[in-house]
Amino acid sequence: MLSSKGQMEKHEDSYYIQKVLDGETQYFSYLVEQYQDVVFSIALKVLKNRDDAEEMAQESFIKVYQTLGSYKGTAKFSTWLYRITYNHCISEIRKRKHHYVSTDDVEIGDNSPEMNLDGIPDERRSQVIKQAMDQLGEEDYALILLYYFEEQSVEEISRVTMLTESNTKVKLFRARKKLYQILSQNLKEELYEIL
Amino acid sequence: MSELEDIKLKALLNELQLDSPDPSFTLQVMDRIHKEKELREVVKKDKLFGKGFWLILVLFVILMTSYFVLSTISVAGSEPADGVMQDLGNTVSGGIQGFLSGFAAIPLSVAGIMLAGSLLLFIDRLVTSNTGIFRSL
Repeated sequence: MLSSKGQMEKHEDSYYIQKVLDGETQYFSYLVEQYQDVVFSIALKVLKNRDDAEEMAQESFIKVYQTLGSYKGTAKFSTWLYRITYNHCISEIRKRKHHYVSTDDVEIGDNSPEMNLDGIPDERRSQVIKQAMDQLGEEDYALILLYYFEEQSVEEISRVTMLTESNTKVKLFRARKKLYQILSQNLKEELYEIL
Repeated sequence: MSELEDIKLKALLNELQLDSPDPSFTLQVMDRIHKEKELREVVKKDKLFGKGFWLILVLFVILMTSYFVLSTISVAGSEPADGVMQDLGNTVSGGIQGFLSGFAAIPLSVAGIMLAGSLLLFIDRLVTSNTGIFRSL
């Protein structure tokens, strides 16, 4: 869909959803383009294999397409999509009885070290953050991703993860604390290397 | 966790670059969706039971109804309105009774084989049809 200026017009998700429901299937590609990175990241975090993650992400989008008629629009489309993806991934991991290295054993102290980003080159920062995120368990990863990166509210996250709002708050707090500690530690090591 | 730490974390995570799938990801999803759509259209067209089945079913229902009506008339009708109708009713009901008694005389094993054969044919028709019922299996 190109405007007269040749630029792609941007619409709300509901616009594309309605088009798809009206039989114009090609509009679904806009939704895929928009959300594929987050969906893929969640799947990759859980499955730890690119091919499996792509397959899982595809499955999630197909599932969303198949059940699009049942989407009522009460929650954000992204919340609904992430919920389907998250559930898909969790059932898959249960099926495989996959064991992952959890950060549950990361001790959460009251006195977190000060996080110091000064001195870390900009091009390395993104890598340091990614490494820290990779050290989180899949639930913590999803919570952090949805809260900070996707800027979803606690209520929306609780819909995705099927947790109660209070439980989501507690888990989110713990996940943030863990990430902060991992980051602080990694940054300290990084600074030692530089120095 | 202090508010300052939270702000720092948020600022940091804004720099996070998510993993992206293969560049052909959207194309692959859309390809699968188009196939899915085509399959749904085929399923809509391909009915589980053909015309022959419905014709036989209708004929069977008509036959059973007429048998029931005629047998009711012959039992209850002490004063038939029309002798020809009574003769016709007797002939039809006699024929059907003859067929049913003949059918009842078939040994149980033969009846069992026929029943199982019909059931297997039905299941085979159900599984091989593109209904999508067994696609997830």
